[in-house]
Amino acid sequence: MKGKFGILVALVVFFGVVASGCIGGEETSKTKTTKVELTGDFVKDVVAIGKALEENGINEVKFSAWGSGDPNSVMRVHGIVEAARRINKVWEENGVNVRVIITDKYYTAAFQDAYQEYLSKQPLGQAGDFFVNSYAFLPTLADEGYILEITEYANAYKSVIDDFYPSLIEASKFDGKLYGLPQDTEARPFYIRTDVAAKIGFNLDGLEEKVKNGEFTWSDVHQWAKKAKENGAAEWGLIHRKGSAHPDLIQFIFAFGGKLYDENSKKLVVDVPAIYKWLYVEWKFAQDGLLPEDIMSWDWAKQIHPAIVEGRTLFDIGGTWYWTEWQTKDYYGKEGTPRPLKPEEVQAWLAYTLFPAGEEGLNPVTLSQPFVWMINSQAGQQNPSYEELKELYHELAFLMIIKASDPDINAIHSVISAHLPVRKAAAELIRDEEWLNELKNLNLDLDQEVKDNLRDIVATTVHPINAKFLADVSYMLEYTKLAPAHPKYPALADIFKEALDKVLRGDMSPEDGVEYIIQKVNADPELAQNVEVIGEVPKDWQFP
Amino acid sequence: MKGKKLQTLSFFLSPMIIMVGLFYLIPLIFTIYISFTKMKNWNTEKYLSEVVGFYNYQRLFHMFQHDPMIKAILLTTVIFVGITLIINVLGGLLLALGTFFVNESSASAIRLLWLLPRMSPIAVYSLVWYYFFHGSDIGTLNSILMKLGAISTPIPWGQMTPWGAWSVIIFVNGLVGVSFGMIVFTSSLNQIPKELVIAARVDGASAWQISRRILIPLTKWHFLYVLTWQFLSLLTTYPHLFLLVEWDLVNRDYGTTLALYVFNTAFGRGEQDQGLAAAAAVILSIIGILGGLVTLKVLQFERMIHEPRGDIE
Repeated sequence: MKGKFGILVALVVFFGVVASGCIGGEETSKTKTTKVELTGDFVKDVVAIGKALEENGINEVKFSAWGSGDPNSVMRVHGIVEAARRINKVWEENGVNVRVIITDKYYTAAFQDAYQEYLSKQPLGQAGDFFVNSYAFLPTLADEGYILEITEYANAYKSVIDDFYPSLIEASKFDGKLYGLPQDTEARPFYIRTDVAAKIGFNLDGLEEKVKNGEFTWSDVHQWAKKAKENGAAEWGLIHRKGSAHPDLIQFIFAFGGKLYDENSKKLVVDVPAIYKWLYVEWKFAQDGLLPEDIMSWDWAKQIHPAIVEGRTLFDIGGTWYWTEWQTKDYYGKEGTPRPLKPEEVQAWLAYTLFPAGEEGLNPVTLSQPFVWMINSQAGQQNPSYEELKELYHELAFLMIIKASDPDINAIHSVISAHLPVRKAAAELIRDEEWLNELKNLNLDLDQEVKDNLRDIVATTVHPINAKFLADVSYMLEYTKLAPAHPKYPALADIFKEALDKVLRGDMSPEDGVEYIIQKVNADPELAQNVEVIGEVPKDWQFP
Repeated sequence: MKGKKLQTLSFFLSPMIIMVGLFYLIPLIFTIYISFTKMKNWNTEKYLSEVVGFYNYQRLFHMFQHDPMIKAILLTTVIFVGITLIINVLGGLLLALGTFFVNESSASAIRLLWLLPRMSPIAVYSLVWYYFFHGSDIGTLNSILMKLGAISTPIPWGQMTPWGAWSVIIFVNGLVGVSFGMIVFTSSLNQIPKELVIAARVDGASAWQISRRILIPLTKWHFLYVLTWQFLSLLTTYPHLFLLVEWDLVNRDYGTTLALYVFNTAFGRGEQDQGLAAAAAVILSIIGILGGLVTLKVLQFERMIHEPRGDIE
């Protein structure tokens, strides 16, 4: 009996030990995954993150997307919607029961307003998880800790990163670290009305090459503009954009060999000789009646664009996005009720080159302002167990922007908004006529909501002429300059605009304009600390 | 007895004291504190504890001393506040008096019409005047004058300095402000016992005599209130001006007041500099308090709050 009891006790102890071991083992195997090592294999990474989320009891991940820009650039938000659908599809195919839902799709016209809103709402936890905006704001957002650093994640996706144009990846960095992925960019072509040129015998054959070689300079621009005006072929010789937020006119500084930023001192630069020449050229144009002296007060929709599309100017300093904007907006009013131009009309009436060199011996330029997908440093905060699963949410957010950068998504955005693709694969796609036809019919694997939102834009903008235009101007990226991504640059740009306006109106001479800029910079000690003034007003400089 | 009085006073005054403390005193103290910090870009965690002494004030005064625009801005502030204030107060009073003498339904319609500028969203209201005063032939005013043959080329109204720019900003803001005075004065006129007006009518007094001898003297308190309130309001207003300047309708130098200058410097250039803005707010508050005290002194506020003679405690 005693022996039986002993065996029973031994068995109980044995099963107890085994059971506790099993339970203990179970405990160990149930340690929840809160981070996944990204491998660079998109499907594998998405599935791993999905399984980890599922394991943590998460079946739904909510994100919000904030974008801004012209009406045709809605892919800045819908790209995220489409990325979510593609990720959900991967999960579905691999039996992962998790879904990404884009709860808030916010799109506004003014990108500066969107930035201010993000800046004020991020610390309160009310900003979008994805934020597309100008690279110019990236340093401030990164410095304040408002956007996520993605260097480590991006290292795993080197093959994707390497497909982006390097200058654009550089523009997405702050302090050597990557904070976003390029979403789009553009060039600012120098448009020439072919019909006006024909009236004054201005032969445009080979002009593009002459501009590239620096043989056709701003003196030539002045000469032809004058001829167009004097012959009555056009009301104006030159029309350009206004405002300081669109930094088109600083192309003059680069075209006259100047600079705006010093890499060594990390300071902004007021390059006096180049700025003087810029102001002088514009002043001369205005004084000769070739450029409206009140151009900085002109209305975009009622004056600036109609003057170009109706052929009331020979030259225009514009942007690539003008090309489709002219086809979607009612700017052409020569026949009575204003209407948009047809692609054939835009092609027939407008030629384009780089922004000519300021003077002989210098180079032509163009200017880009890349937009960047940025991730909120608190991305995923509206989801359960955020603090615990933060890393997983951030990794998923990164994979979302990787997906939103898919060549087809980027190519669609480029074609419908006339921005330039940021990836080589997307650039190739827009040259593919078959793909363009599929896009025209929206016969692509896209989310239904995205298709519904793109239908009208696609109908008016997808055209072989537009695709050819994009392909034609892509080379301009080789000549492109970027405005400095410096927190104080907007303040300096504002001062440039004020000075230019005064010079154009004849309230100040170009010399006084330069002096005004220096005085304004020095008036704010904080700005003065961030700006260095170099060079002097050139003596005996002549234009044209 | 004294304790009981204090208790009663505390009971009745406590809601007001709490309100003032919560919504005026604490923000005021907080604003003063922020003005001594490096606070920017709404990053409280990073900058709220970074005290920089008088740095923001020094920066502001340096700008006031060296900015080439500052003379025009200060002059614009004085002219804008002065003339708009007169228009707002007198315009409001005239409208209230005018509607006092017409039948109620017409008076309501007129008041509603004058309230429209205040009720309209700022951007919409400003856009209307943007197109009205636009300096080219797309401007409504220029277009009308050209069709009438009064002018042959468009006039750049807002760009004619200084009076063109001043006229536009005063006109646009004046229309908004008039309705405030109108409501306050209408309310005050309605409190005046009707018997006084009826008696004056019976005695053969004209509308002008009734206004001058009865109505205006009895609205003295309201006049003081509207004048002080509008003065402080005009000193710190910038939304309409911001849009008119931003859209280049009016000349930047002569369309910018001190409040807008500070707003643009602190918030309009990429960064959001709350430390600098707070310092400017403190300075504007001091100017406002001094201006308010002068107004009260000039209008003999102390005499008005004296206990009426003949009253028995």
